Amino acid sequence: MFSTELAQTLLSGVLMGLIFSLVAVGLTLIWGIMDIVNFAHGDFLMSGMYISYWMYVLWGVDPLLSLPVSGILLFVMGMIVYRLVIRRILGAPMLIQIFATFGMMILMRYVAFYFFKPNYRSIQQTLLSGNIDLRGVYLSIPQLAAAVGAFLTTGAVYVLIHRTRVGGALQATAEDREAAALMGIDTDRMFTLAWGIGAATAGIAGSLLSTFFYIFPEVGGIFGLIAFVAVTLGGFGNVAGAFVAGILIGVVEAMAGYLYDPALKTVFVYLLFLGVLFFRPQGLLGVD
Amino acid sequence: MAATAWGGRGFRYALYGALFAAALAYPFVFRQPFPQDLAIKIFLFGGLASAWNVLGGFTGQVSLGNAIFFGVGAYAAAVVQTQWGWTPWAGVLLGMAAAIGIGVLIGYPCFRLKGHYFAMATLVIGEVVSTLFMNWQWAGGAIGVYIPIRDDTWKYYQFGTTKLPYYYVTLAFLVSALVLSAALLRSRMGYYFRAIREDQDAARSLGVPARRYKLAAMGISAALTSVGGSLYAQYVLFIDPHSVFPMMLSIQVVLIAILGGVGTLWGAVVGAMVLIPLSEFTRIYIGGTGSGLDLIAYGLLIVVISVIQPRGVLGFFRKAGAA
Amino acid sequence: MKRRIAKVLGMVATVSLAALLAMPAAAADKVRIGAIYPLTGPAGSTGAELKDAITLAADIVNGKYDLDLPLARTQGLPNLKGANVEVIFGDHQGKPDVGQAEAERMITTEKVAALIGAYYSSVTTTVSIAAERHKIPFLNPESTDPKLTERGFKYFFRTTPYDDLFAENFFQFLNDVKKRKGAKISSVATVYENTNFGTGVNNAIKKNAAKYGYRLVADVAYAEKGTSAIAEVQKVKAASPDVVMPASYTADAILYMKTFKDLNYVPQAILAMDAGYISDEFKKTLGKDGEYVLSREVWALDLAKKKPMIAQVNEIYKKRFGRDMNGNSARSFTGFLVLADAINNAGSTDPEKIRESLEKYKLSGDRMIMPWQGVAFDPKTHQNTEGRGIIVQLVSGEWRTVWPFDLASGDVVWPMPAWGKR
Repeated sequence: MFSTELAQTLLSGVLMGLIFSLVAVGLTLIWGIMDIVNFAHGDFLMSGMYISYWMYVLWGVDPLLSLPVSGILLFVMGMIVYRLVIRRILGAPMLIQIFATFGMMILMRYVAFYFFKPNYRSIQQTLLSGNIDLRGVYLSIPQLAAAVGAFLTTGAVYVLIHRTRVGGALQATAEDREAAALMGIDTDRMFTLAWGIGAATAGIAGSLLSTFFYIFPEVGGIFGLIAFVAVTLGGFGNVAGAFVAGILIGVVEAMAGYLYDPALKTVFVYLLFLGVLFFRPQGLLGVD
Repeated sequence: MAATAWGGRGFRYALYGALFAAALAYPFVFRQPFPQDLAIKIFLFGGLASAWNVLGGFTGQVSLGNAIFFGVGAYAAAVVQTQWGWTPWAGVLLGMAAAIGIGVLIGYPCFRLKGHYFAMATLVIGEVVSTLFMNWQWAGGAIGVYIPIRDDTWKYYQFGTTKLPYYYVTLAFLVSALVLSAALLRSRMGYYFRAIREDQDAARSLGVPARRYKLAAMGISAALTSVGGSLYAQYVLFIDPHSVFPMMLSIQVVLIAILGGVGTLWGAVVGAMVLIPLSEFTRIYIGGTGSGLDLIAYGLLIVVISVIQPRGVLGFFRKAGAA
Repeated sequence: MKRRIAKVLGMVATVSLAALLAMPAAAADKVRIGAIYPLTGPAGSTGAELKDAITLAADIVNGKYDLDLPLARTQGLPNLKGANVEVIFGDHQGKPDVGQAEAERMITTEKVAALIGAYYSSVTTTVSIAAERHKIPFLNPESTDPKLTERGFKYFFRTTPYDDLFAENFFQFLNDVKKRKGAKISSVATVYENTNFGTGVNNAIKKNAAKYGYRLVADVAYAEKGTSAIAEVQKVKAASPDVVMPASYTADAILYMKTFKDLNYVPQAILAMDAGYISDEFKKTLGKDGEYVLSREVWALDLAKKKPMIAQVNEIYKKRFGRDMNGNSARSFTGFLVLADAINNAGSTDPEKIRESLEKYKLSGDRMIMPWQGVAFDPKTHQNTEGRGIIVQLVSGEWRTVWPFDLASGDVVWPMPAWGKR
């Protein structure tokens, strides 16, 4: 009896963690390449959720199918945000950068609030639904599908960063902006790309999430904060690190809630975060 | 002090004097509770932003968790009354002591971290403290603390029939914060703060014990913020973790400091004078419909300021490089 | 350029300040009532419902309606020469200090004769403090924290029954079900959000479980709006309670039901403390998956079978606002009518007279859309002593009254059918 529950907790933690990973991946890209903390990242996720929601409600498109639309629209949004706002604060002190993305967070969140109202929405019938019973451990199919989708997308980003020329250029820019520029890499283009990809991954995570989680304007807050923790844990700019960290957080949260006290489960995540910060500031997988 | 576009020292002191006189006379001109409440909020947030400024603006350590100290001060003032029947003034002192202690405790490990990491750590610690208080039954837990209502009294710092005492006490709070900041700016400690802000390693190599001074800045900032929290508790007479520890509060205080001009003496006040009326105004006239338009305006303002004039309102009046 | 921006900013600040300070004095010959609700923030959708309900109530007072409700058949307040009531809405955003500021603004700048609000118990607390200090009557139709009427306030009046009473209803209901259905019910579990509301509810249930002889086998507090409820539901499941009693606002109510389904868990019954469970969102979002949930309630549409007026009022509301009324909107609606009626009885907008009028106020149960015996305020606590709770069950997309059995419109479905069998 005990071990089925433990297995259940572990499994749920991993599934949720994969979603955290995907959200974190986008954030770490942006953070790694230009040292900017994007407070509005959770709201990219929120936008992705709403895109999927409306495509479902208006045209009956399943979120798994509207995923690419979400990705593309958010890619464009990310680029626009970079062009309009971020580019102008590249040289500003960190505080101002925090300020700017924070303002964007409020703006995005409450524009959504204004248009979509605070109501909680959810997508009822998805292509895949129901659950699988593995000898007492229940796997929610939508959640499983979302986790798989997140895993694949994270993998795609990893491949992009580490195995393609564009990815190489991105990495170079992240490492040393000036040297990269000297090598002929258009840093402005790289930044735009990073924001595009970062926003797109958050949007895709949102579409995936919308298959089983409720949608409302402030949903970005919860996931945004967890993404920050994941990125710090995994090392800024480190995609693999963000992936591992996301899963780790999902598991820690689930286990802490089950074994100890559900009201304090996020505290455990935060304590883990602080522990890593103090004792291994480059992150679990980061390189100093 | 660097010369500003405004002229010499004599002019400046006359200006301060006039402002102070205006502040003293204000509640007699505007007798309605609403304008008085507005002013009280401005003074409170101005003081909190000044307190933050000591650590964030002068010393360059961006903390996003000052709500911790605000909440500690609020709870200290409330709890000493409900648990032991003491006067809230004792709570103010207790709160300051606790805040300094907690600040040092947080600072010790965290000051090893740089930039973003430090900011994120303070943010997260803020959330941890908030959650802990939610579960701390002795201090009211999620239900919060209801401060017993009494007749008007200075001993228990409560006034039901008039806002004037609150007004003057909060004004005193702001003035103290400003005087303290001014003194710091001129002192050797303040000089070290700025050295640390500009280049910590260089400062260290010149013999400045960086950690000690950062802790000092943290202690001052924490104590001051805690006093603000205690005053708030007595003003509202009900506190719970949601109202005194939220992340939004930390961020709001920082926003005000930035809006006015980080690292300047008057930036906090200017920021509060712009932001507080703006947020009240939008909430009353636009927010009442429930559409969130007021928050949209708020967000837009923040983005615009950061893109167009990151040095805040005061940035318009200072030449680059001035203190 | 920078000078210009500085000037603009300066103007904005000055204009804001000026606008705030120079707010117009209230117009005469209308009776102004301040309504403070969470129009934005996490309870924003509920706030919107409550605003609609009060708007409708005000229209009924001001207009002429053929309904047996106070002041419906007359236009305006007859004892005040037909003066209209005017509602000034304020948004407290879910924050106690904002609520307090709004209350003070309404009292001193908008010069309201009375206040109504505020849904959240924590905000109602601070608003009531402001009202008490300024000696303005404040009627609270929705907050259920018992402490609110334990403070000896003279200007605070509450029409809704509160947590203790509801918790007692639960166990009376369970006793009745045991008798009628021969079910074996001995243990209960609570899962509640770690806030004022949830913790208060939990305390009330703990007290009454002991009193009625039921075992509380799990007491699970959680932090609201989390990302997953798996850990919590597992804890509940592990304790094998006969009945689960959750207390959550909308987002978490939906999350928990989904998690129950995901983990294929169904106790004999889920008996909820309204809030999120009776919201429109819950029904719409969960559809079939929300069925058979039981909840405490203060009101249900099917009570119209015994009181046709309820259906009439709901029709008007629905036509205007596009959705049915629920326990929240019905209570605010009724509370407003009570307040307006008391003001009319006082024949004046003088707060003292209104307060006295409220103290003496009596309304009979057949002149309201609530299933109460009436409205009458306890002389010491100002709590309405004639309120009554009911238990409802969600069946086929409609909330059906199932208890007290004499008010029920259908038999209760017990136990809850398993997930596969719906």
